[in-house]
Amino acid sequence: MIYLKLISKFFLMSIVALLSIAQSYGQDSDKQVISVGANIGNVPWEFQDTKGQLIGFEIDLVHKIASQLGKEVDIVNIPFSGLFSAVQSNRIDIAISSITITDERLKSVSFAQPYYDSDQSLTIRSDSSVKTVDDLRGKIVAVDTGSTGDIWTSENQQKYGFKEIRRYEGITPAVLDLEIGRTDGYISDIPAMQYYTKDKPNLEVVERIKTGGSYSMMFSKHNQLAVEVNEVITSLKRAGYINDLHEKWFGIRAEASTSTAKTTAMPGSKEGVVLNFVDTFLNKEVLLTTLPMLMLGLKTTIQLGFISIVLGLILGLALALLRLYAPYVVGFLAKAYIDVFRSIPLLVLLIIIFYALPFVGINLSPFYAAATALVIVSGAYTAEIFRAGIEAIPKGQFEASQALGLSYRHMMLDVVLPQAVKIVIPPLTNNSINVIKDTALASVVAMPDLLKQATQAQAIAANPTPLIAAAGIYLALLLPLVLYVSHLEKKYRLREYA
Amino acid sequence: MKTLIKLESVSKHFGNFRALSNINLQVDEGEVLSVIGPSGSGKSTMIRCINLLEQYDSSGSIIVDNKLVKKGKALREVRANIGMVFQNFNLFPHMTILDNVTLAPMRTGGLSDADAKKRAHVLLEEVGILDQADKYPDQLSGGQQQRVAIARALAMEPKAMLFDEPTSALDPEMVGEVLHVIKKLADRGVTMIVVTHEMGFARQVSDRVVFMDSGQIVESGTPSEIFDSAKESRTRDFLKSVLSHEAYTNKR
Repeated sequence: MIYLKLISKFFLMSIVALLSIAQSYGQDSDKQVISVGANIGNVPWEFQDTKGQLIGFEIDLVHKIASQLGKEVDIVNIPFSGLFSAVQSNRIDIAISSITITDERLKSVSFAQPYYDSDQSLTIRSDSSVKTVDDLRGKIVAVDTGSTGDIWTSENQQKYGFKEIRRYEGITPAVLDLEIGRTDGYISDIPAMQYYTKDKPNLEVVERIKTGGSYSMMFSKHNQLAVEVNEVITSLKRAGYINDLHEKWFGIRAEASTSTAKTTAMPGSKEGVVLNFVDTFLNKEVLLTTLPMLMLGLKTTIQLGFISIVLGLILGLALALLRLYAPYVVGFLAKAYIDVFRSIPLLVLLIIIFYALPFVGINLSPFYAAATALVIVSGAYTAEIFRAGIEAIPKGQFEASQALGLSYRHMMLDVVLPQAVKIVIPPLTNNSINVIKDTALASVVAMPDLLKQATQAQAIAANPTPLIAAAGIYLALLLPLVLYVSHLEKKYRLREYA
Repeated sequence: MKTLIKLESVSKHFGNFRALSNINLQVDEGEVLSVIGPSGSGKSTMIRCINLLEQYDSSGSIIVDNKLVKKGKALREVRANIGMVFQNFNLFPHMTILDNVTLAPMRTGGLSDADAKKRAHVLLEEVGILDQADKYPDQLSGGQQQRVAIARALAMEPKAMLFDEPTSALDPEMVGEVLHVIKKLADRGVTMIVVTHEMGFARQVSDRVVFMDSGQIVESGTPSEIFDSAKESRTRDFLKSVLSHEAYTNKR
């Protein structure tokens, strides 16, 4: 069987690719430039000033530490939920972004000693009736994907009766939706939100949520650099430098009992095993605990994909018929539509629909925003596929139908479209595959599709296994379709030569 | 005799090219008319104007069964009254032979499934294809396909039939079977206009022969008037070149 051969070839290639990632897994503490991953925009820890200069508490700290170690710093902007796999794959040496040390994360990564004690907070619109977390019963709550706020909110969803949790990739999109009114509260780290809201009168931090937790720098598991950085932090704390930074960024000095002032031991994992390749990328325990989340995501992905494909087909057929047969002006408009929406990147359209339309009073939920964008674009592509299919039908078929006195409707339904459908099935299936793949883009509008769920799961578990599993699920979903297209194309080719 | 089809001052332009120029023609009920002439002389264009597959210039008019042929709601009825057989058959490849024949009567003739099938059986029998009714067009030879196309056109019980070079796309050995079917229809009294290159057929079957050249009707008359004693030199030159070729092939 050629399919089996193809599949086994594919898996072989995947394994080779994974091994090459694993190879770069080794550690190299001799290099002179330290690569630091940070979620830029996370005030006041790492963000840009008006001149575009990177500044912040942790930016200052990481530069200071690097200079003590005699090294340079190179900062890479990575979304919060991406930092975990970035350190694990050694794409970066250190991750900063007010990352809370948790036992779960310590299984897969290392942290230096903490330098800031934090809590979560509830931020609302100043004019909102919500004043405490208790007021959020039946409301929509925003969090950052995979953050401590996400973990706390998920664990307490039932207790407080949150209607829905929307997950964002950073403060800016989360606050945008809070301001628009799509969400009723934003649960996030208190220092960041206090700093962020101090010049924004329309937003207010109304409650401290005592979760405890302390921030530190994150490293790959058992990285020697973590030990070196930990020693530097000890000396910087003794010299009072970190508390100086606290005063610089928060205006007051931290109390002597906090981790900003007091030296502590390096946090150790209770399960001090070195994670090997399989434990990191194909961790069975992580897979089992995150599988329910992934399945929820899969359900959303399939629903979104199905609705978008079906409505896109109907829209595309209508557009193709208008373009081919409608009077001049309508035909021209159909052509303009098709050309415009084939030229706009789906992601751009999605962001416009989700973030710009509310300003003209159209406020779509993430699901409907994503479905609308997918249908609009898929309709334009399927219109072109249908047009090509109809135009491939010989003129004689139309003339024979007309000569028999068939109505336009019967000519299309009985004669033209049944023949066109055969021609267009392979390209339409291809388009459907693309639509399903493009549903992954919907994670930017906080829709819990398969990719979003996997991202969240990998951030909470600090382990990339859910992402690998998600890739496997996409593969299981789409590979049969891909093979089906090849099969159809081959079948029609054979018939042509028969 | 009642006039069934009447063309008055019909012209047709494709852009600046004049494909038909001031055509006047009348076909009576039961009449068999052959149209001959060199390629590009406008023969096909003329009969395609009759069921408005081509829109003729507004200066002229075409009347079929007392109705003006023009765009609009009545056009479908006019078309249903004129059967047309094409050079390339134009059967519907995704339907069986039977479905090809029953489609139009069911969709526009208001026939029930059973009645349409009954009629199709009679017609397929008449053209000698009944045993192939459940096959698809691409399983049939060209000659068989063209006979199906004739049955399909007849299924609407049209008042007249138009044949647009019905044997030009056929292998030589299949020409005879198709001409035989057309001749049977002629003998039955079906009104028809046949555009053809088959001079023997035109001579034998037609009541009247029209010779066209450069978009004009050069002359018309009975077969013997045209083939034996044409008045116009253009007609004689054309016939000489075609008939000498036919004589050559016949000798071989």
